[in-house]
Amino acid sequence: MRTIYLSMVSCVLVFGLSGCGSKSIEKPQEVAQAQKSNGADDELASFTDEMKVQEIYDPLSGYNRMMTSFNDAAYEYVLKPVATGYKNMLHFEIRNSIENFFENLYFPVRFANTLLQGKFSYAAEETGRFVINSTVGVLGLFDSAKSCFELEAHEEDFGQTLGYYGVGGGPHIVLPLLGPSNLRDTLSLYPDSVLSVIDWEERDYWTLTDTPAEYIGVKSLEKINTISIHMDKYEKMKEDAVDLYPFLRDMYEQRRKKQIEE
Amino acid sequence: MKYIYKIVLAITAVLCFGQNLAANEQVELKEHFLKKIDEIILIVAKKEFTKDERNGKIVKSLTPMFDFELMAKLSLGNRWKDLSDTEKEKFVALYVERMKQSYSSKIDAYKDEKVEIKKVEQAKEDRITLVTDLVSKTEKLEIAYKFHKPKKPIASKDSWLIYDVEILGVSILKTDIAQFKEFLHTKSMSELMDALAKQS
Repeated sequence: MRTIYLSMVSCVLVFGLSGCGSKSIEKPQEVAQAQKSNGADDELASFTDEMKVQEIYDPLSGYNRMMTSFNDAAYEYVLKPVATGYKNMLHFEIRNSIENFFENLYFPVRFANTLLQGKFSYAAEETGRFVINSTVGVLGLFDSAKSCFELEAHEEDFGQTLGYYGVGGGPHIVLPLLGPSNLRDTLSLYPDSVLSVIDWEERDYWTLTDTPAEYIGVKSLEKINTISIHMDKYEKMKEDAVDLYPFLRDMYEQRRKKQIEE
Repeated sequence: MKYIYKIVLAITAVLCFGQNLAANEQVELKEHFLKKIDEIILIVAKKEFTKDERNGKIVKSLTPMFDFELMAKLSLGNRWKDLSDTEKEKFVALYVERMKQSYSSKIDAYKDEKVEIKKVEQAKEDRITLVTDLVSKTEKLEIAYKFHKPKKPIASKDSWLIYDVEILGVSILKTDIAQFKEFLHTKSMSELMDALAKQS
């Protein structure tokens, strides 16, 4: 397993560093074609550079499109009805506490990745958050670090760490149920899972789950809980999609780019 | 000597005045924006209106601040110039209507959120970005509003107009550019227009 993983990682490194992760659509002659015949065109031309969209490397588009439809159907017909029932059953404050609890558990992932990126002040803040939320916040159920000490969370993962060191995203991949991702971020799920206490593999330290069944149960709870909180947002956002797959794909890649820059 | 002194004084005055002008512009825009937000919050809070009435009022209040027409043109990228004049007109109308619907329905969903201006950036003389946080009880959402100043002011519009909105780094306009481009790879312009018409 580890050898396969390592060879895949070296693949993504080669992919990313060789710079074929993404290419720009605007060829020089196309830019030049943004002609300057009259005033109105002049005004448009002044936006050309700014609105240059990075074309996403997408050799798997056929599969990705299919998986996007699958995920959307799974959302509409399974996840959404379940999350709606769950939402009606539990008060928002409780669901919010469950979300906080999971977020607190992923502290080692965020901590390690802030350190790997040399963001020491973020690492310190994350540690502060973990200590406060695990104690004052009763095992992470309440985000006291934010409400009382104004310590904000920093979402950092291994995909961002690789991106920080210049590794490109590689081909875009839509994962079953997890949604949009790319090769770099998919492979990064493994190192992050090693630092997560929600895992079924044998570990030297305490883990929340011990068997695959427990793991799936806990992960499903986490997913349904997240959906129940953010349901409206996803649906409002989806209303703007003319074509769901490229819409979600571009949003994902733009979001990751911003996260890596931060 | 006196002559040189006068020149230096004049240049300093111009420089100070110029800088002041730019700073003033930013402050004015910031205040205008916050005033608009207050206006919209009042509309959203009025529960005696029906949803349609509320949306209508939100759209009316937002329209002078947004350059939806420019967004429509930019959203098509290089394809824009290939359209005939009637197609251009039809496309702009459809896109503008879709944007209005999209914004008003999103804003109508706001509850107890506050808007805070975090940063004002001016990359060019005619571009200002207001970076804001939409603060709710549980989270903070970074939204950047990008304004441009058209060379010729547009009637019934503000002097600074929003041409793009970035939510957590995701640009609405860039996402449209990408999805329209992909759509037009396999489908025609009239199919795109039909799809847009369905959304509003």
